[in-house]
Amino acid sequence: MRDVWISGAGMTAIGRRTEPLQSLMAEAALSALLMAERERPDAIVVAAMNPEEFVGDGNFASNVATHMGFAEVPTVRIETATSSGAAALYAGFAEVAAGLHRTVLVVGGEKMTHLATPRVSELIGRSIDPYERLYGATMPALAGLITRALMARNAVGLREIAQVAVKNHANAAKNPYAHYRQPITIEDVMTSRMVADPLRLLHCCPISDGGAAVVLTSDRIGVRIAGIGQGTDTLAVRHRQNLTSFRATQVAARVAFAMAGFGPERVDFAELHDAFTPFELIALEDIGLIPVGKASRATLDGETALDGRLPINPSGGLKARGHPLAATGLAQVVECVWQLLGRAEGRQLEGHTALAHSIGGLATNNWVTVLERL
Amino acid sequence: MIVAPPASYCPRHPARMLPTELPGAGEIVSFTTLHSPPEGFKSPLHIAIVELEGGARFVCHGAETRGLKIGSTVAIEAVNNVYYFSSLGALDRARIFWRRAGRAGDRVNSIAQSPMKRVWKGKDRAGL
Repeated sequence: MRDVWISGAGMTAIGRRTEPLQSLMAEAALSALLMAERERPDAIVVAAMNPEEFVGDGNFASNVATHMGFAEVPTVRIETATSSGAAALYAGFAEVAAGLHRTVLVVGGEKMTHLATPRVSELIGRSIDPYERLYGATMPALAGLITRALMARNAVGLREIAQVAVKNHANAAKNPYAHYRQPITIEDVMTSRMVADPLRLLHCCPISDGGAAVVLTSDRIGVRIAGIGQGTDTLAVRHRQNLTSFRATQVAARVAFAMAGFGPERVDFAELHDAFTPFELIALEDIGLIPVGKASRATLDGETALDGRLPINPSGGLKARGHPLAATGLAQVVECVWQLLGRAEGRQLEGHTALAHSIGGLATNNWVTVLERL
Repeated sequence: MIVAPPASYCPRHPARMLPTELPGAGEIVSFTTLHSPPEGFKSPLHIAIVELEGGARFVCHGAETRGLKIGSTVAIEAVNNVYYFSSLGALDRARIFWRRAGRAGDRVNSIAQSPMKRVWKGKDRAGL
């Protein structure tokens, strides 16, 4: 297997965008290609969760490639619900590692804000088990069930899950690409509208538009993908014995670290999938970045803040940078690459090793990627 | 593994599932109240995961969650193919206890006769 390097990383500003999805993805792709100093990739992998419903376009690999002027470049589309961006990175990684292509562009995007919120929720909710959906289960509903179970078992309290939101908004305030750039207080979170008891509005990520892209190459330049792993679980949440940790994350982390040849102790900072703020606490422990039972304490003590021992979500995370579905897994990697190469102006961290964690569906198809600057 | 509703295959193994029956009482695994439910549902929408004795987990609706805790004993029953949970009083819990001890109570019999009997049980290919 060849080593795979990320030579370029780019993304759009995340938020409410008026451009068509194809233009957002082209903007991200061209900025990644510019950084990689490549005019044209040998192959393209496209990530989009549901452009058929969100924007009404199908055959989306060819659609995006043609829009960008790469109609003659071999292109495929990859989908694993909300982790599609990370899955596309894996597909591109495999193409380069196997020696099929020397340079692969991986680009993801989603455009949703032009639709009414109930419609967006319904479309995202289609990644939930159909029987659970019959009972009105939405992503926030299932996250509410998980949060209550977490609070009952692990000494996780309302203050801890609010602090994750406060921290990630504070980080996003320093990120010009973020959806929400205004800091918030614990009070704001605890008095925001109740969504799915005990989860309130400010525990949940926004609906965002945007695109993100990376250029992968077998040339030794930029940041190396040291390890990448996938973990899966049952579509139905009720078929899982344990609600307070995600098997899909645990397996993905184990596979990624096995490939990297080192463990979580080497990680300097991470981008974690905080679509709902308790998920950041769960991921910290599932990945092994913080010992089991200690994520809440570490968060309250500021260990995961931008100036802490282990900064988590320097970009602002899904919570405040925003969550344009298939772009998200790649936007996390873009942030890690920029941080590792000293391009994260205003929020720059020290470090050689970064980790990105993406959740697909309600933790049915998760990914962990470990990145290293040599 | 026991799953509900009936499924052709076990979610974790490519093995055929077999039908089984379970009593209609169990424990609350978790619950939430949804304040902006999807179209076709009234707000607030109370949703719980209930684990029946024997292990099958159901998603249910409920009339309220006041006083409900994780681990609370509840009865579940289907009305028009939708399962609802309801809290059991001390008397009902005592009856369940006596049924376990070999003396069936009225309430439990009526639960056992409710349409929720149709739960299916999976068997590992290697297991049998």
